Amino acid sequence: MTARAGGRARRLAGVRPRAFALALPAALAFVTFSIVPLLAVLRYATWRWSGTTEPVAVGAANLLRLLRDDALWSSLGTTVAFALIALPAFLTLSLAIALAIEGLRLERAIKALLFAPGLITVGGSAIAWYLLYNPDFGVVPELTGLILPWTSRPWAALLYVVLFTLWQQTGYGVLVTSAALRGIPREVKEAARVDGARDDQVRRLVVIPMLAPTLLFLTIIGTVISLQSYTAVYLLTRGGPFGSTRVLGYYLYETAFERYELGYGAAITLFVLAITLLVAYLQARILARRGAAEAST
Amino acid sequence: MRLVTAAFCAFVALPLVWLAYAAFIPAEALVRANLATFGFSLENFAALHATGLWRAMGVSFAATGLVVAAQLAFGLGAAYAIRNGLRMLGLVMLLLALPSELLLVPLYRLLQGMALLDTIGALVVPFLASPLVVFLLLQALRRVPWEVVEAARLDGAGEVTIVHRVVAPILRPEMTATAVLAFAAHWNLVLYPRIMTTEALWTVQAFLTELLRARPFEWGLLGAAALVASLPLLVLYVAFEKRIIEVFESGFRS
Repeated sequence: MTARAGGRARRLAGVRPRAFALALPAALAFVTFSIVPLLAVLRYATWRWSGTTEPVAVGAANLLRLLRDDALWSSLGTTVAFALIALPAFLTLSLAIALAIEGLRLERAIKALLFAPGLITVGGSAIAWYLLYNPDFGVVPELTGLILPWTSRPWAALLYVVLFTLWQQTGYGVLVTSAALRGIPREVKEAARVDGARDDQVRRLVVIPMLAPTLLFLTIIGTVISLQSYTAVYLLTRGGPFGSTRVLGYYLYETAFERYELGYGAAITLFVLAITLLVAYLQARILARRGAAEAST
Repeated sequence: MRLVTAAFCAFVALPLVWLAYAAFIPAEALVRANLATFGFSLENFAALHATGLWRAMGVSFAATGLVVAAQLAFGLGAAYAIRNGLRMLGLVMLLLALPSELLLVPLYRLLQGMALLDTIGALVVPFLASPLVVFLLLQALRRVPWEVVEAARLDGAGEVTIVHRVVAPILRPEMTATAVLAFAAHWNLVLYPRIMTTEALWTVQAFLTELLRARPFEWGLLGAAALVASLPLLVLYVAFEKRIIEVFESGFRS
């Protein structure tokens, strides 16, 4: 009797333990290939290990090395510079474009176009960019005389990687912002208009504040991506010239798989994870404080 | 803002247009280095034969195909369990912020221990489940009227049957779109396959980066290789673009 009643209560709450078994394969895969590696990094960080030979335990040597590794700290600086250029541009473009195309006849076509670079073969994209923008014989320098000297100048190389990243990712930002825009009830905007607000005022005072959570979400995602991603760097500049585009993720790759210092690579992985967690924590706190401020008004 | 939008659209479109065009540049135009002589030629595609692109495409198709099938099946199961009350969403969200490329070092060790390094398994096994796929399918499941599932239960259907016969058919549009996104995510891995496998198992991305490094002056050949390698995704994207954008947008609404 009681078992039956319990079953009914559970059914009423919508909880179906028998369905839980269906999560098993995915859960197993997540634990084995994400959680276990994530924890194992702690151990590998205490190794001196080339990847092919047997690892040798060296205690905290790798972690201490982090502190006096100038290349690591300068690559952190590069990453911060990258994020400080790329993130504001990404957010501004996402917002401006999502607002500009709202309700246009071309809205769908524009979204389809902007989303495309993120989906097409990234190696192919890198080739297209190389042939178009190479300072020595690229099509754009040949035809227009406009040259971005990304093969020789550090600032230009960083800008080049930023531009490629924006080219690839802005479509995501526009889609996410546009989805949030559509979630704003029409009545809210109409009410503001009835109160005498002009179109640009409605935008500035009503629409954009309501998009704040979405923009913060994009900021957090964007920060995490900037801290960890390095595919663009690998494809375009391989960290050069003079290490000017060697972001953290790329430094990690280089150390572990070009200099075959996998133990130290594990230590760098920990460093990157710690920084990601720290930044995500700070941003989440800002988010929470803002939420509290909104709730109190 | 219209101007910004138009300019940015042009900026996005240019490499895409170039990708389609460069493949057909005849070789002699390159020698003369004169853009005005650019004509139309198919010789670049014939030259691809000797480069090993087709082999790389085969590897990519096999690995990505297996991965997408597994991610959909496992992802749907997980999403269904979460929809039924399993508390796993936190884990999924955590993993969503953790790209596999950050775990290169520990994955290398893990695959070494499993004797999977330099096998097709290295390209497949660590990707059997994807947090993004679980997340998108869960968002789609939340829109399914649950009476359908309850009705199937009253009829005595087991949970596997319900997922297979009731839920999956309803979610077909979302599953198609999610499949394309999952396909793109795996197809576009660059460093991972280079590290975990050697030349015989190079994927399209590893092949393309090597081709660009080895023959940077052969525009036509590079263009043709880039176009051929992009074609599967371009075709999928053009065919399902509307659904992909809808699924992606509704996944991130709220």
